[in-house]
Amino acid sequence: MSSRMLPSYTRSVAVIATIGLCLGFVLSNARLDTYSALLPLFEWMETTSFGVIGKTWGAVFATVEAVHLLAMAVLGGSVLVSDGRLLCLIFTDVPQRQVQDACHRLFVWSLLLSIITGVFMACGVAIKVYYLNVFWYKMLALTVGVVFVFFVRRPLLRHDIENLNPWVLRMVAVASLMIWFSVAATGRWIGFSG
Amino acid sequence: MNQLIYEFATWLDTHSWSTQLHESFYMYNWVESTHVLALMVSLGMLFLIDLRMLGLALVDIPATAIAHRLLLPMLIGFSVMIVTGLLLFYAIPVRTSQSLWFRIKVVLLIAAAVNAWLFHRRMQDAGSSAGGSWDLAVKAPRRLRIGAALSLSFWVFIVICGRLIAYDWFDCRGEPSTFVSTITGCIADQTQF
Repeated sequence: MSSRMLPSYTRSVAVIATIGLCLGFVLSNARLDTYSALLPLFEWMETTSFGVIGKTWGAVFATVEAVHLLAMAVLGGSVLVSDGRLLCLIFTDVPQRQVQDACHRLFVWSLLLSIITGVFMACGVAIKVYYLNVFWYKMLALTVGVVFVFFVRRPLLRHDIENLNPWVLRMVAVASLMIWFSVAATGRWIGFSG
Repeated sequence: MNQLIYEFATWLDTHSWSTQLHESFYMYNWVESTHVLALMVSLGMLFLIDLRMLGLALVDIPATAIAHRLLLPMLIGFSVMIVTGLLLFYAIPVRTSQSLWFRIKVVLLIAAAVNAWLFHRRMQDAGSSAGGSWDLAVKAPRRLRIGAALSLSFWVFIVICGRLIAYDWFDCRGEPSTFVSTITGCIADQTQF
């Protein structure tokens, strides 16, 4: 019985194992060791072409920052619309599948653009952000967001959405909104720190 | 005109609330953060509408449904942006009013507002003349596509200008060239910056 049930819970087991690994990483010395080991990477980032351009030409850095903001705006728009549909707040007369698929495509493109511009910006101020707690919070929030979208939200919505429990959909939507708000808010907070 | 703007800005600067807002680390940052985060609501919705008209996103959803349903959240987002934007101006009135980027941004904002009004009118015309037959088409009629492309361009440059306001390359304090000084509205022998 248990051997037959286990495959159905592969994803749950994987999530619990991942959480356990993360907790072990945070509570042990591995976190501090990894943090120290990452310093050379950040020092190298400042010496790359991105780092040199970002530090030398303020106008280029500011323009890339603006593009980053624009990408985040599109990302925010796609998240709001798709989660708004899951919460039955907008486009209630349009099938869930249509809205979710269309928004996901837009989400992926805007996420890619925001990551590329984000890497450029991080290269320009790599050493500064390395010592900022809020930068690591943002990276954590972004990682949680990406994992949530591609390993929880998207696989769930591949099922027949209309037959899923509405409360599950609502919880997924609220979690998604909270995660992406955290990503944006911590990103904004980097600007005030240091 | 520049003298008038300068006098208005210096008058705003005399308000104790203006100074308090500028000097308050948390309050100023909250206002600025709200201004930027409201982008995700206002521009997020606007870009979805524009990209749909251009046939670049959400093409399976009727164009007018996108335009009508996203209008309210977009307007709420823009309202928050306007209020927080005015507060940001109120916090640093003199320097902001004499910022080259701020002035370009205001011109672009006016252009974007006119374009939005024209876009709205064209959409009503297109809806009544074609009986809404283009609603499910991948691309909207040409006039609407031009409006959407203009809207995207205006807002891209508005955001870039907004970001550049933080930089002081053309500030009056830095004694810019006569040309820059004229368009940024620097006043001879001004004492407040």
